[in-house]
Amino acid sequence: MTKQYPLTAAQKMHDRWIREYKTQQVSGLSVVAALQYELDFGLLKKCIELEFERYGCMRVRFTKADVNGNVSQYIIKKETRDIPLKDLTGMTLQEADDTMQQWAYQTLDGDDVPMCEVFMVKLPEGYRGFFIHMDHRLIDSCGVMVMIQDIMALYTHYRFGSDYPAELADFETVLQSDLKKAGNEKRFAKDKKFWDDQLDRLGEPLYSDIQGPGVLEAARKKHGNKNLRSVDIERKQLFVAVKDYKLEKEPTKTLIDFCVNHEISMTNLLLLGIRTYLSKQNNGQEDITVQNFISRRSTKDEWTSGGSRTIMFPCRTVITPDTDFLSAAYEIQTVQNNIYMHSNYDPGLILDEIRRRYNTPHDTTYVSCYLTYQPMTASIDNPFIKNIPMHAKWFANGAATKKMYLTVTHTPDGGMNFSYHYQTAELVEKDMELLHYYLMRILFRGVEEPGRTIQQIMDMV
Amino acid sequence: MSRELKFKELVAQYCDIKPEQMKGALRFREDLGFSSLDFMSFLGELEDEFDVELEQDKATNVHTIDEALTLLDELAIAG
Repeated sequence: MTKQYPLTAAQKMHDRWIREYKTQQVSGLSVVAALQYELDFGLLKKCIELEFERYGCMRVRFTKADVNGNVSQYIIKKETRDIPLKDLTGMTLQEADDTMQQWAYQTLDGDDVPMCEVFMVKLPEGYRGFFIHMDHRLIDSCGVMVMIQDIMALYTHYRFGSDYPAELADFETVLQSDLKKAGNEKRFAKDKKFWDDQLDRLGEPLYSDIQGPGVLEAARKKHGNKNLRSVDIERKQLFVAVKDYKLEKEPTKTLIDFCVNHEISMTNLLLLGIRTYLSKQNNGQEDITVQNFISRRSTKDEWTSGGSRTIMFPCRTVITPDTDFLSAAYEIQTVQNNIYMHSNYDPGLILDEIRRRYNTPHDTTYVSCYLTYQPMTASIDNPFIKNIPMHAKWFANGAATKKMYLTVTHTPDGGMNFSYHYQTAELVEKDMELLHYYLMRILFRGVEEPGRTIQQIMDMV
Repeated sequence: MSRELKFKELVAQYCDIKPEQMKGALRFREDLGFSSLDFMSFLGELEDEFDVELEQDKATNVHTIDEALTLLDELAIAG
């Protein structure tokens, strides 16, 4: 009989969103990877089928929820579905992208059904490759990159005789290890104490909005509570728009040099920029919380086992305006280092504890901004195909669970990309323009003179 | 298994160096490629594996394999 397992903390996070927003769409993850090269689709199909065998997370299924709403997972031994070929050559590349975007909006519904579908695609301009649509409970973006690299490595092995790719870590073994760690009572008690201590010390968090204090004021009025510290979550209009901004190579280097010279991680520099922006927008509010996503991939097995290992924790800091930029960065770094040490914890339990202590109204939140920083570039490290033009694109699932979600990545030309996903129910492109404009000014005013205080920087920008 | 070997086997899960090739002067970040997240996760694993309590300040000042082993020895003696 197939063994069933509970969900990990990272999987629970997505599962909770599916239940709260009542659609699996919020958990969709889609990507296309295609080369401007006449791929052998028969061989590509064989490689994708092999990948289903090698990468266990692609064979994960979920049971029906039990009476308490808990879902279990199991891994089927063999995947026998077809991998169809979709021909999109009779259109422009933009139209093909739009078509695939529509596929990304589809939901993977049902219990005990596949949560992963793969199509081979023939795209315009001679691009050939595959489109993958998966549930986020099975995989995260790092896991997708490992999968794409592995499929390509299998292809070049059979086509060009390159080395057969090394075995990937067994998903089920790593899952068992994760669940064992999560079940360590001593560890759980330490992690719980860390998060409880933060609440003992700082009290109830305070919402800060991208658009300023008016949002919290409106929520206070609506709830008839002038002391309310959280605001309503948009649950109905989930449509998300995306706005990307590019940072060129030279200014990117300025930020990287600052990080290297002061031993500050880029994540922490970005968190400082965002929290300073929120403070500026909210009349100098000092207590700011930003949700930061981390990918819990540290050991070699964690890197190659697939699975969903990305999990978000609140980065809450209280920084006074007379603190200088560099000291503020170190304050954030200390907070984040502590969080990393306690990142086995289920963040849902942090929110449960806050709600228990402060009677937080149902369906309200303390956070408007979410950050993911991905140090890895989205390029394929395979010498046999490195000079072939590639069309790789991530597709939004079209349903945002967060008001604003910023993904920062490095680009192959040495620059950085800032991708803002925002709920159109409340925000427009102009809000993102302003946010990005101020974020850049805050970061560069701070980096050029780290002795400036946060107040000076907020006044300057 | 000695404490040192057990420690090095744990480190080896994070990098491409075998325990027997692990020199004491190797630095976690610069030589073994640990990110901040890797290092802090590793410290958590150390606590669980060796049943010790690490003080944040002391632990984050550890840079090399030898320094980490010394700290572990001190904690084992104190415990």
